[in-house]
Amino acid sequence: MTNGITNEDRDLQPGSAAPDFSVPRARSGAPARLVSLFGSLNLNGEVVVRYVFDVGDPEYHIIEGTANGPLPSITPFVPAAAWYERELCDQYGVNLTGHPDLRPLLLHDNWPSGIHPMLALPENIPWASRGYRFLEVQGQGVCEVPVGPVHAGIIEPGHFRFSVVGDTVLNLELRHFYTHKGTEKLFEGKLADSAAMIAESISGDNCFAHAVAYCEAVEKACGVRVPARAAAIRLIGLELERLVAHIGDVGFLGNDVGFVVAHTLASSIKECLLQASARAFGTRFLRGVACPGGVRVNLGPGEIEELTRVVSESISKFTELARITLETPSVQSRFDSSGVLKKAVARDLAVVGPVARASGIDLDVRRDHPYGHYRGLHFDVPLTHYGDVLARARIRIAEAVESARLIVETLITLPAGGVAEPVPALGHSQGYAAVESPRGELFYWVEIEDGRLKRCHVKSPSFQNWPAIPFAVADNIIADFPLINKSFNLSYSGSDR
Amino acid sequence: MIIDILEHSLRERSPLIPVEALLNACEGSRMPDVNAALLTPDIVRRVTEVCPTPALTAREEAGGLELRLSYGDCIGCGRCIEVGQGAVVRARTFPWIGVAKAQLVRRWDVNRKVEIASLTSSPEDGRKEIYAMLGRALNIRQLDPGSCNGCEAEITALTNPYYDLERFGIHFVASPKHADMLLATGPVTRNMAEAVKATYDAMPAPKLVVAVGACGCSGGIFAGSYAIVGGVDTMIPVDGYIPGCPPTPSMLVTGILEVLKRCVGKRR
Repeated sequence: MTNGITNEDRDLQPGSAAPDFSVPRARSGAPARLVSLFGSLNLNGEVVVRYVFDVGDPEYHIIEGTANGPLPSITPFVPAAAWYERELCDQYGVNLTGHPDLRPLLLHDNWPSGIHPMLALPENIPWASRGYRFLEVQGQGVCEVPVGPVHAGIIEPGHFRFSVVGDTVLNLELRHFYTHKGTEKLFEGKLADSAAMIAESISGDNCFAHAVAYCEAVEKACGVRVPARAAAIRLIGLELERLVAHIGDVGFLGNDVGFVVAHTLASSIKECLLQASARAFGTRFLRGVACPGGVRVNLGPGEIEELTRVVSESISKFTELARITLETPSVQSRFDSSGVLKKAVARDLAVVGPVARASGIDLDVRRDHPYGHYRGLHFDVPLTHYGDVLARARIRIAEAVESARLIVETLITLPAGGVAEPVPALGHSQGYAAVESPRGELFYWVEIEDGRLKRCHVKSPSFQNWPAIPFAVADNIIADFPLINKSFNLSYSGSDR
Repeated sequence: MIIDILEHSLRERSPLIPVEALLNACEGSRMPDVNAALLTPDIVRRVTEVCPTPALTAREEAGGLELRLSYGDCIGCGRCIEVGQGAVVRARTFPWIGVAKAQLVRRWDVNRKVEIASLTSSPEDGRKEIYAMLGRALNIRQLDPGSCNGCEAEITALTNPYYDLERFGIHFVASPKHADMLLATGPVTRNMAEAVKATYDAMPAPKLVVAVGACGCSGGIFAGSYAIVGGVDTMIPVDGYIPGCPPTPSMLVTGILEVLKRCVGKRR
């Protein structure tokens, strides 16, 4: 962590008071995993801060507190809270005490000080230039390599600052949020019924997971039960999205070590699945399929048959490709022991998804906090403890096989009946939902008043996992960074929102 | 290993889609089209009410009623199709790609049930123009000024064996200094504004800019957010627009070729 850096912009109160709650413990006795931390405004215009923990129960444990005056930071003993608390400062101007690094996160140099978008915003925000201090690594022979925000290749923007000695990375500092689009504010005042399309635009390559998580949160708030057929179609969509993502990732990993044939073949398999999705759902990336109360697309017998065939063919092609890739010595030598993320670091940073499961953290929302059609379903959650690029590749391959099996089984046993229930638009309510997206736990929290959104908080797995990348990259050679970064495959837009 | 791959290559047939099948195809894009014969004032009221962006708007003038559909704003949510009673349907082909901004807008006279001045274009594959202009080498630099990565996912697909953009002599390059065309996706965020300008300035002239996706064309669903400057053309001059949320690979191919066709000989 970047200790001792504070931004001159912010008036920090020195010293840290002890927070007025103790971190909950999980069943095992270990500190509970932080799921999310976010603010909202109550009726009196005060900032309410919610701390969401996973204590090992199917339901999450939410602690609420009002931020009247200085709020003690929990980052010193829950390191995973670091970015959340910086975001809280940016969004609501909460006066946090005891946080080791309160530089602005969402709002870059060209934003003037004192702008807190979730509070009132001025009509025209002047362009400013307030500077940003990077962590400085000192010592003989230390060079800085700044990369980005515009990278080589078809990829999203973000800034990476490497401090290297020779080829070896001593420290990597991330500066992201270039694609910050103010999405959480954009939800405010929108009809809960139609705002799934905003959720879909948070991270385009797993837009269906975002849409489903949003819809489940709204359904929970409004007390709506989704018809069985709609829940099953959602499962098919979620697993199809995972299958497409994992197949693409394994191909890209091959590409990054010069094994281009893996990329070419994987991109063919992926394209085949996307075209099948376009024929079955009318959309290649399952946009506009989920809506609060159910889904907007029903599957007929012809579509079920074709989807079953394409998924079965794709997975057998992919299994062969994965075998060839992992048996190739040049691939093995680059994947093996590159970018190790240690279990202790992964736990401290509350890392989620395939990255966590590759570092020995047994975590899957589908199994631990079952939702929709996953309730009562049996499936394997692959786990390994090596924490390197090879481990993350193996986890993705195993998950892809399991996803394909789930899709085919659900297609065969698709329940009959309708696919959507109306959602009542009355009263004031709150709800949350979590979904296992291809990148890991995706958490939505909504507050609805008379059918309109008052607040929608989005915790994406990428926001949680980005801070772990510098730990995996340290001590590796800088040339391995693209490979290690790809093995995490995080979404910039999903994190930046 | 290498033997396995050779065997695999010999077994598999090439999945390459011929260019004639790509041009103007839009399966899986969710873009709407209007069946003018079924338009009524009531349907116009309904579809403009449910549209989440300014894509569908109505204008009353001297007793007449005009429906406007701006593809640059459309995110393909399909709500107009749900309430349109057959007057609004999914587009089967989509030629409004790679055109100037004004040509992204279609208008209908609701009372007379006809379209006012529709696009008359017969896109060919444009290979001749590429050869003529660039000697069979167009270098594209993709730039993400704030996209959700949906457009990136589809642009990445252009290099797969189905679309194989390289067959036209078109390559993606790593630096704007090597690029002839900038393919800019997404709304320009305030945090990316400076980098967008710097990337454009780094390109050597003559240069082409194509705005991709509803967000690139107009800001899309993000228009009006505090963190957004606007569409790509709020920062840098744009030569052609490719609507869609996201545009499918076939729409991207059509658009890139159309921009080349239109902009041959125009140097900046």
